Amino acid sequence: MKVIFLFIILFQFFHVNADEIYNLLKIPNLEIYKLKNENNIRYLNAKGDFKIGVDDNITCNKTNKENLNTKFQVIERNIKRYNSQFLKKIDLKYIVFCEGLFISNINTGGIPDNKNRTLILDINFNEKYFERMIHHEIFHMIQNSYEDDFNDQKFSLFNNSDFEYAECSTCSDRLNLDLYENTNGFLTEYSKSIPSEDMAEIFSFLMVNKNLIEEKIKKDSILKNKVNFIKTNIFKIDENIL
Amino acid sequence: MIKTIKASKSEKILFIFLIVLGVSAFSSFFLLKNKCLFVEKNDLKKLNFENPDNIAVMNLECGNVIIELYPDISPKAVERFKTLIKKKMYDGSAFYKVVENTLVQAGDIEFGNIEYLDYSKIGSGKSGLGLLKSELSDNFEFTEGSIGFARSTEFDSEDSEFFITLKEIPIYQGEYTPIGKVKYGLDIIKKIKTGNKAIYVLRPDYINTFRMLETN
Repeated sequence: MKVIFLFIILFQFFHVNADEIYNLLKIPNLEIYKLKNENNIRYLNAKGDFKIGVDDNITCNKTNKENLNTKFQVIERNIKRYNSQFLKKIDLKYIVFCEGLFISNINTGGIPDNKNRTLILDINFNEKYFERMIHHEIFHMIQNSYEDDFNDQKFSLFNNSDFEYAECSTCSDRLNLDLYENTNGFLTEYSKSIPSEDMAEIFSFLMVNKNLIEEKIKKDSILKNKVNFIKTNIFKIDENIL
Repeated sequence: MIKTIKASKSEKILFIFLIVLGVSAFSSFFLLKNKCLFVEKNDLKKLNFENPDNIAVMNLECGNVIIELYPDISPKAVERFKTLIKKKMYDGSAFYKVVENTLVQAGDIEFGNIEYLDYSKIGSGKSGLGLLKSELSDNFEFTEGSIGFARSTEFDSEDSEFFITLKEIPIYQGEYTPIGKVKYGLDIIKKIKTGNKAIYVLRPDYINTFRMLETN
């Protein structure tokens, strides 16, 4: 009798999140924003706040439709640069829009999730870096799919031997995203946090301002090696991205 | 001489009210109890099919559901589906997962049969025939009555569980392996018991028999 009662109680909990999008992505309170796209990407919108992850450590709020409609033009323009084959290779199919994205109480622009082929984007991320942030997060998905090619240790060898990255991207105070005047091997302060962020910063600058980076590497041999490393490995996946 | 006593106006109203109440209670008892009362029956003898080899008949409490299978879209999945039908492995399979007006799901051979339902493991059972590779189609639209193979969160984990959609679910396109479509009897599917607000159903409806159409 107790067992039956337990099941009845248990079953009552399953009604939460019983929608088809949740079944696929394990993120509640989403709705379709735009489904049919040339490169097969699918855009979803947070119609309500959501909490996901271990101990609900990832939180984000619902979007303001007007705000989203404005930001979407920028997002779509940038995402269109990736073809469907490339997106398939890097396990990206769904982009989720929300506002005020936090992971373990730290504000972030995006959270890539290769397992669920999803990238969560905070549409309220600083406008100054917004476009670059999109490509930065996409690089993390690239790296997750091609770990051997974008190996952290191999990449770290390009730096001077006396340089050390931080333990993790959020446990350092190297967070500034502005481009250095004098690069000295790093494009931004955030590049100095960890190797994968360094790579993501290079990739994102190559996507939004390639000419500027080509100029920078003429005077910076370390950066030149790093940029070539990224270019070569991206070329192996798709010849037309960079 | 017995003096007849005329019923007062209020007594007449009360009497009529009681009769109406009794009739409505009686009829609604039978109507509510028999959920299949207004469901159209599908007489197989009166139906003609272009591809009878790909027609399966699922018998439920309210009648026959006629399903057309699509081997051209997903050959391996349809082959598996036919094998399970021919081995009668779907007989007694419970519709344990029902999302109201959205989809119904059955086919857990190991833990989802009405004879030996195991609520603690339901949805994780195996058929013993091994897992299948997903056969996804970017062109197959999951509209009302579409049938797809269920899977875990990973691709290539299809086995025996299947779902039938009760409405268009565009996000499923390219996500699940299509098996076929309900040709007749969608209203029978819609009568399958739901779990009210829960998606898992206690004392679920189940498949009486599931057979390929006899062509002889």
